[in-house]
Amino acid sequence: MKRIRLGVLLSYIILFIFAIVTVFPFIYMILGGLMSFQETTSIPPTLFPHHFEWSNYAKVFARAPFARYFFNTILTASITTIISLFNSLLGAFAMVNLNFKGKKIVQLVLLSLLMVPGEAIIFTNYNTIAHMGLLNTYIGLVLPFLTSIFYMYYLQSYFGSISTTIYKAAMIDGASDWDYIWKILVPMSKGGLFTVGLLSFISGWNSFLWPLLVTNEDTMRLLNNGLSSFASDAGSETQLQLAAATLTVLPILVLYLIFRKQIIKGVVRNDLKG
Amino acid sequence: MDNNKFVEVKNLRKVYDNGHEAIKNVSFSVKKGDLVCLLGPSGCGKTTILNILAGLLNPTSGEILFDGKSVVEVASKDRQIGYVFQNYALYPHMNVLQNVMFPLTVGKNKKSKAQAREIAQKYMKLTQIMDIADQKPGNLSGGQQQRVAIARALVQEPKILLMDEPLSNLDARLRLKIREEIRSLVKSVGITTLFVTHDQEEALSIGDKIILFNDGVIQQDDLGENFYLEPNNYFVANFVGNPVINNFKITKSANELRTKYFTLDLAKLNQQRFKRQLVDGDYILSVRPENIIPEEGGVFHTKVADVELIGRERILKFNYDQVQGRSLVSLESSIKRGDEIDLKIRLDRAFIFTTDGERVY
Repeated sequence: MKRIRLGVLLSYIILFIFAIVTVFPFIYMILGGLMSFQETTSIPPTLFPHHFEWSNYAKVFARAPFARYFFNTILTASITTIISLFNSLLGAFAMVNLNFKGKKIVQLVLLSLLMVPGEAIIFTNYNTIAHMGLLNTYIGLVLPFLTSIFYMYYLQSYFGSISTTIYKAAMIDGASDWDYIWKILVPMSKGGLFTVGLLSFISGWNSFLWPLLVTNEDTMRLLNNGLSSFASDAGSETQLQLAAATLTVLPILVLYLIFRKQIIKGVVRNDLKG
Repeated sequence: MDNNKFVEVKNLRKVYDNGHEAIKNVSFSVKKGDLVCLLGPSGCGKTTILNILAGLLNPTSGEILFDGKSVVEVASKDRQIGYVFQNYALYPHMNVLQNVMFPLTVGKNKKSKAQAREIAQKYMKLTQIMDIADQKPGNLSGGQQQRVAIARALVQEPKILLMDEPLSNLDARLRLKIREEIRSLVKSVGITTLFVTHDQEEALSIGDKIILFNDGVIQQDDLGENFYLEPNNYFVANFVGNPVINNFKITKSANELRTKYFTLDLAKLNQQRFKRQLVDGDYILSVRPENIIPEEGGVFHTKVADVELIGRERILKFNYDQVQGRSLVSLESSIKRGDEIDLKIRLDRAFIFTTDGERVY
């Protein structure tokens, strides 16, 4: 008995340490955003500000067009989410339910494309966008992310778990493929679609390298790029960077807290007993 | 329009992509309003045929006519068929009413909401599922799901109803009940029905006619009783009948049929039942358990290895040729395990097959 209790205690201690390690940067980010410049750079470091500098947030909005960054980020993340979700939905449906010539080859090519890391093609993508004259435009920001093979594969495995007789039944009931997708497939795959949508939105929100490449006007920048507004050759204004970082993370954190259940549900399948 | 050939299949063939020939030159027809069972062991091609009739699979070659019109090039949804799947294939996110209404909310048969509801309710009354209209399929028992699936199949008022082993997911008692219900339901609606099953008892009890398949070929297309009394070949004789038929290896020479255990005089066989003259050689004599019965002075002297009670009757088991033979006797029989008995063979109800399975007597 004693030994078991000791084991439990030990595992709690380890969990606690890891929880601190994971959460500490977030807490420090939030606290740091409320410190004065001296406090954020002092040695030994200050953990808790003597006085909450709420004015940091006002400075963030005054110093850089943060509201604009927010708008740009929400707009591009939403557009990529909606369109890539739509595209991967149709692609995954075709792969699972339709039979067409060359399906296996298409599948093989897509699978091998999945192996190519995004960084490897970022400069060819840049060239393409530049040649199309789409630098500093919203289209240029979102175009490369409107399809995703990864999301398509994710949905494919999700749709694959739905019995093929459901599709056959719908065909006999007189449904077109379009009817099937919207009246049966989508309602039956809410969890999977939601997971893909959220993943896509988060990655759109977090994008950094691509917007940095294809935009150079302040009005077209996204949130993550905006963080660099508070760094100059003379040095960084760390307290403002931390306040801006808090602003950047907050919406995603709220999203996660609201949709926690659905995110987890997305992994669990709900199937009908046979 | 020929009502005797409401459904007609001609020289149907299906070869799968992997080269497997599931259907080999199959032809049959179904009378309007009949309930026909497609029977056969698993893998015999019966479900493939049903899927081809439904348009869910394309035939490699051959012709399918519904009511005299070719449907090979017609899409599933335009074939005017209803289909009940083995696993029912109900839409899990819709309740029972929505499931039954679904065929009336899409495609060519689209009706107004009120009309669709009215028609759906008519068939839900018929299948007695009005009380579960608001339930989701996940909360229903197998029997209830089955009724919902049937109601959904009928709601489009199809000309032909296809059912793929609809009872195989139900427990034994419910299966008996539902199969009677299915028969009376399709008869009251008057719909032409093809019913796939691997259960001979189910086929015999429900079907107006049975088509027995094996290995992609029709073995016999006949009334139920004829599978029993006049099997086409060795496969049919062995597939249909419970307990299974007894097969003896026999050799014909001169005027005798000789087995290891007994000898029969050819002259005692009913000469009119011979399909052709027997030449000397090896054959198989097949006798159903009720036609090989204990009787003083019978040709086959043997020992009872075991006795099994099956309701109204008993099965006497005896050993020969390394297999177990069976004789069906009444419940009152006093023969016990270990008794020595003489078995008589009713020769006018026995069958003789060549070693290739062709029936000659």
